[in-house]
Amino acid sequence: MVTTHDLKEKIIAGLGLEDMEPDEIGDDMALFGDDGLGLDSVDAIEITLILEKEFGVKVTNMDENKNIFETPNTLVNYINEQKA
Amino acid sequence: MRIYDIDKKCYVDIVKYDDPATKAEQLADSLYCYQHNIFKVVYDQSQPALKSYIATLDNALLHEEKMQWLFFTSGTTGTPTGVYKTKQNSYEQAQALIKTFKGMKFDRVVTTVPFVHIYGIDIGGVVPFELDIDIWVKENFLPEELALEAQKEHTLVVTTPLFIKALNRIKKDVKFTNTLFLTSTAPLPAEEAKAFKEHYGASVIQMFASTETGLISYKTDDETILTAYDIVQVSQNNDRLCVSSPLVTKKVINNGVKEDIMLPFQTEDIIEIVNEKRFKLLGRSSNLAKIAGKRISTMQIESLIEHIEGVDAVLIKIRRDDKALKDEILDIYVEGIYVLDAKTVRAELKKALGTIHIPFKIHNNMKILRSSVGKKIGIEQ
Repeated sequence: MVTTHDLKEKIIAGLGLEDMEPDEIGDDMALFGDDGLGLDSVDAIEITLILEKEFGVKVTNMDENKNIFETPNTLVNYINEQKA
Repeated sequence: MRIYDIDKKCYVDIVKYDDPATKAEQLADSLYCYQHNIFKVVYDQSQPALKSYIATLDNALLHEEKMQWLFFTSGTTGTPTGVYKTKQNSYEQAQALIKTFKGMKFDRVVTTVPFVHIYGIDIGGVVPFELDIDIWVKENFLPEELALEAQKEHTLVVTTPLFIKALNRIKKDVKFTNTLFLTSTAPLPAEEAKAFKEHYGASVIQMFASTETGLISYKTDDETILTAYDIVQVSQNNDRLCVSSPLVTKKVINNGVKEDIMLPFQTEDIIEIVNEKRFKLLGRSSNLAKIAGKRISTMQIESLIEHIEGVDAVLIKIRRDDKALKDEILDIYVEGIYVLDAKTVRAELKKALGTIHIPFKIHNNMKILRSSVGKKIGIEQ
């Protein structure tokens, strides 16, 4: 079972958020957009690569899966559903 | 030629859109303007500083009867520059590029780039328009999705180095037969280009260009030396690249004032000439980082951070990480006793530069070394 802490560690390492600790990212914090972490479209691509490499989960359609990228919680739910 | 919206699974008419909501509509509007010789101002509306700057300019000042486009550079390098281009510039550029395809035939173009700057419009739009082939667009591509499209034979893919790197990382077990990839000017390491060719069997042509000069030169796969396009002459002035070609703008707007541009046009790039048509890119003016395809002035970021209360001085150095999709990281050295945190920096950057996330690392409590005239030159170790 992947936890949000595991995911945040991988995101911090993968996106080069060198000044952040996993605890600074809330489980329900928006990953994209003006509120929250403020990631952009390139980071979204990086996150799909992290999911595939670190958790063996593929995202094949960004638009159909937009909601899974909303927060660490939604991403972890998706990962665990795919791995179940 | 037609525009196909992959998300909506339908073709989009080439008509005028006053407020285009999608990439496909942005493209349709631009091609309509190109087709009917309608002058258009093009810029990235997602950048707040750029949007506010353009709002201060008088429309009558911007309009130029004989011009096709006024492209505003991103504004991430300081004051945005407005660059005028004629329809002939776009047409001749397309023809110069098509020559480098060396007889490869394409049925369609798939483009991952937005249509808010010269690369998207001229290469992603005008080239397929002149080739009379369909353009397939999608709001947000994932590497997996691009791989699916690139597998269809005789596809020309207009993209950026980050997608080449991403495709290398997913290593899909497919071949891109008779497909050609064009990438923009961000650096693609030779080993990435080589690995891509070996794995997918498709070539990558990396184009070297700028808004002011248009296309300058190109290299294929893991070549290290750039070849100037047929219609471009390159020369050197104090190691800097100088360009003469019919693609160079004749007029720009700087700080609200129109200026004529004389040839040769000197760029910020440091080069070594190999022969008349070939040169090696050694670097660029050291205060420009390139992150997610945007040139970003480190001096502008230093100035933004120095406005934060409690910060005495800031020096930024650029660190490269070729493996990352965003291949440049900023090391931010902060002088003073104030401990600057990442959240504050991110908020400042977002205010000025919009939704581009810049990788950085803060080094607090540093002593910045200065030259005799006060220029910041390094960090005391």
